[in-house]
Amino acid sequence: MENREFNVVGKSIKKIDALALATGEVKFTADIEMPGMLHIAFLYSPHPHAEIVDIDTEEAKNIPGVVLVLTYRDVPDTLHTTAGQGYPEPSPYDTRILDKRVRFVGDRVAIVAAETKEIAEEALKKIKVKYRELPYNLDPEKAEESEQIPPEDAYHLLPTVYEPSKNLAASVELSFGDVEKGFSDADFVLEERFEVQYANHCAIEPHAAVAFYDERGRLNIISTTQVPFHVRRIVSRVLGIPLKNLRVIKPRIGGGFGGKQEVFLEQVVALVTYMTKRPSKVVFSRKEVFVSSRTRHPMITWYKVGAKRDTGEITSLYLKALMNAGAYGPHALTVMANAGSKVLPLFNKIKNLKFEGFSVYTNLPVGGAYRGYGATQGYFGYNVMLDMIAEKLGIDTLEFFKKWHIKKGETSPIFEELGEGKEGVSQIIRSCGLSECIEKGAKAIGWYEKRRKRIKNGDKVRGVGAAILMQGSGIPKIDMGAAYMKMNEDGSFNLHIGATDIGTGSDTILAQIAAEEIGTSVDKIIVYSSDTDFTPFDVGAYASSTTYISGGAVLKCAKKIRKEILKVAQEMLNVPEDALYIENGTVYTRDGQQKVSFQDIVIYSLYTKNQHQIQAVASHIGLESPPPFMAQFAEIEVDIRIGRIEVIKFVSAVDCGKPINPVLVEGQVEGATVNGIGYALWEDYVFDEKGRVKNASFWDYKIPSIRDIPEIEVIICETYEPTGPHGAKSVAEIGINGPIPAIANAVYDAIGIRLTKTPFTPERVLKAIKSQGIKL
Amino acid sequence: MEGLIPESLDEALEALSERKFIPIAGGTDLMVRYKRWKNLPPSFPSLPLFIGHIAELSGIEKKDDEIVIKAATLLSEIEQSPLVPSILRKAISQMAAPGIRNMGTIGGNIVNSSPAGDTLPPLYVLDAKVVLLSKNERRCLFIYDFITGPGKNQRRDDELLYEVRFKVPKHTHEMYRKVGTRKANALSKLSVAALASSRDGKIDDFRIGFGAVAPTPVRVKSIEEKVKSRHVSELSDDFINEIVNEYGEWIKPIDDQRSTALYRKTVALRLLRAFLLQLKPV
Ligand SMILES: Cc1cc2nc3c(=O)[nH]c(=O)nc-3n(C[C@H](O)[C@H](O)[C@H](O)COP(=O)(O)OP(=O)(O)OC[C@H]3O[C@@H](n4cnc5c(N)ncnc54)[C@H](O)[C@@H]3O)c2cc1C
Repeated sequence: MENREFNVVGKSIKKIDALALATGEVKFTADIEMPGMLHIAFLYSPHPHAEIVDIDTEEAKNIPGVVLVLTYRDVPDTLHTTAGQGYPEPSPYDTRILDKRVRFVGDRVAIVAAETKEIAEEALKKIKVKYRELPYNLDPEKAEESEQIPPEDAYHLLPTVYEPSKNLAASVELSFGDVEKGFSDADFVLEERFEVQYANHCAIEPHAAVAFYDERGRLNIISTTQVPFHVRRIVSRVLGIPLKNLRVIKPRIGGGFGGKQEVFLEQVVALVTYMTKRPSKVVFSRKEVFVSSRTRHPMITWYKVGAKRDTGEITSLYLKALMNAGAYGPHALTVMANAGSKVLPLFNKIKNLKFEGFSVYTNLPVGGAYRGYGATQGYFGYNVMLDMIAEKLGIDTLEFFKKWHIKKGETSPIFEELGEGKEGVSQIIRSCGLSECIEKGAKAIGWYEKRRKRIKNGDKVRGVGAAILMQGSGIPKIDMGAAYMKMNEDGSFNLHIGATDIGTGSDTILAQIAAEEIGTSVDKIIVYSSDTDFTPFDVGAYASSTTYISGGAVLKCAKKIRKEILKVAQEMLNVPEDALYIENGTVYTRDGQQKVSFQDIVIYSLYTKNQHQIQAVASHIGLESPPPFMAQFAEIEVDIRIGRIEVIKFVSAVDCGKPINPVLVEGQVEGATVNGIGYALWEDYVFDEKGRVKNASFWDYKIPSIRDIPEIEVIICETYEPTGPHGAKSVAEIGINGPIPAIANAVYDAIGIRLTKTPFTPERVLKAIKSQGIKL
Repeated sequence: MEGLIPESLDEALEALSERKFIPIAGGTDLMVRYKRWKNLPPSFPSLPLFIGHIAELSGIEKKDDEIVIKAATLLSEIEQSPLVPSILRKAISQMAAPGIRNMGTIGGNIVNSSPAGDTLPPLYVLDAKVVLLSKNERRCLFIYDFITGPGKNQRRDDELLYEVRFKVPKHTHEMYRKVGTRKANALSKLSVAALASSRDGKIDDFRIGFGAVAPTPVRVKSIEEKVKSRHVSELSDDFINEIVNEYGEWIKPIDDQRSTALYRKTVALRLLRAFLLQLKPV
């Protein structure tokens, strides 16, 4: 594939679902009401770790309007993972719908289904549970010697390290060269410990699911999912319902960010509907989203880096990561591994390198996929270490970045060594605009005018800092998406894709990719997505894969359709195929003598001669995972009297290949940037001594409000990725990785203090100022 | 939602004399406190008495040398009124967000009596008085006598807060600082309101109030007296340290999900010090 002039791609057309969303016509899962619908509520454990000795549901069952009360005795006890990943999942099978042992405050104890939500809530209060409390542990550094958290019979499908008795959910090791020798060859060695905290995705729409039987006796599930096909597979297995009897539909989704790559409500609504033969529905409260859905995995990282003073070469790098998986292990292996695999290839000339990662169980809320997926955790320390080395070398951080970052035509051994639950895939970088991102971003933030200036205004001091990043585009040789298209009498096309638009706009950009290739306009493409009965398979919306993987399928499919159209036109006009070209829904002969419209072509193919449906289907897997690149810059102001950091301006310069829809690219980058700033400065779970979340609401858990959002400048540094659809790479996740290190580096620039633990609250900053003293 | 909607102040007071109601003005505290599941109305423990619409309870005026603000005046109105001293306007402009300020009232903030109520430190330093009305009685109390604990005050069940009034101070120095997690819709980790006046180098007025650092807002007149009538040249480091230490005895914050006791105390005292330093000639 090569770069060329585009008609539809590269244009910021409106999202195809924009009007319906804006006018409120769209139904979200929670809006669905059906006659006879049951409402589901959960009873949650008040203990961090306990065994249910006795559970009495009689009184609850006798409340008028209560239809079903389920405990661990009443539900299938299939071990599974809630991680909505490909099969076999690289996450341990350590979860049951309900279990006799509960593992964190907020773990499920019982399920009630009733005529109304109110009645269901009332019934919860009448369930009497006797617990035997067990020793519990909230500290990931003490996991190994603590009471076993996962079930005795928990197991892993993959041949990977999994030691439930030691609370070890996963571990990986990777090394090449001789790390010790690398350190002794170094002129100086720097070491630091970094820590990032719990956080929630805070999608506007809470998790919800609906189940009902259709007139043919098939069980339908509508849910707020990023992964409808994985939902179907997992629900079928967990409940023992044949897959053919299940249909999963994804409606419009109010944001996912990874939180909806989890399958924990669908099996419950399906079970209730299966048992009662009535429609059922569950909608999480915000508190449930915080406590009992999934979170960002907290992580501690230790970096040790040695470098040469004259050349600046990093002679050795050692990274150890300890991830807190929480009480169950969805994504425990892969998020932790990504802290290495998405980070360490960036400086690809390091000859001696070692990465060790551990994921451990604690009696705290459950981690899961979250935008950035380990890279966010890994990049904090990485970029701070690079800033520290540059300072030691006495050179500008940006020059250091530009000299050593991976470039087009280069590779890193890490691509091959570290994959998702298995070995990775070797690849050569075919597009990289990172140096341009660094240069343009530096200009936009005013780097050379502001760096090391420590401009003071009263109690406030300003600084600038930077971070560089890469991510991936799908999971290579694992993620697959497929597309189906057919042509209608008026020259319009149905595009059916398994791909999952969760608010990202993927329905729109996939239509753009198709329209571009076929030579028509987007309004001729009727998109229908994410329905396991009517669309082909797709792994779903995760791992920054939709544009690259599903887009690849759509492009292939559109190419086939184009060929079919030309074939018919050839027959109609009686000319050879290469004498034809398509422009704007019409086929012309190159000599300008003849033309035939799409409409005429379909009418011909459906009714006139040699009748057939013009249609095509195509699948695509990514053979590589070309990384998007980004340079992020923060200008901040620290109020040294009260310790408050304010972000004045933030610049995100991104190389995502060819931006299919620039405004949607900007939206993704701005959203990720703000998401990252909130994580850097405020967002955190506050636990009591039993691991109970004390701030499980938007009242107490603060995400940035509109007034907290600084001036954000998004710069698109366009490249062309030859393996991507129309040159595109991914863009959705990468922007969340840089705010923490860029802000940390800016704080150092302002006041000479290295912050190593997020969030950078005024409490923490003031403490650091008091203990380290500021250098102005 | 069920409740009583009186047509006048008299009718409201009459109703209160007969049984217990929960007065509801803007409802921005109450609707949150008594909320239930999505789509369900809140559940009030007693019948609500709606007072936000009563004309007699709304308005800002200057009476002689006093500013009088009726209890159900909207926060946004006060924020914009040129009659109101800037220290109170500044505090209100940093409360909640515009939507809430268009619903919430000053009376609600006072009667709610939260340690983090943001109008309270300015009202403390303004020596504001609150006027309470019941069917047969009118009482007038200083705000610091009215508020007795977190969420606790002297209001009887049959009374409404009618108005709050204070003299406009003639100060030369002023400071208002609120430290919250973010810029909007964030309760105070702490707040400080301070006024002072110095003429010809003599400090003839000095008042400072702290919010969210103790069960009620903190204002200590005995320490203020020590600063008053000093000459600015007497504000030595030693003297400032002494004042800061004395306030340290009164500032007794707690750890909660919004902040830590240590941070609150440190920053409250740092802001006090900053204000004292402002009074010093440069
Ligand atoms: C999102 C949000 C953000 C907020 N941010 C802030 C903030 O930054 N700072 C802050 O201080 N507060 C904040 N609040 C709290 C609240 O908005 C204020 O306390 C507001 O001033 C309350 O006024 P109201 O009229 O809405 O009170 P209501 O909820 O109507 O009443 C509050 C209490 O006062 C009583 N009451 C009200 N009026 C009278 C009267 N005339 N006589 C007798 N009793 C009366 C009520 O019975 C009740 O007990 C916030 C609230 C929300 C929802």
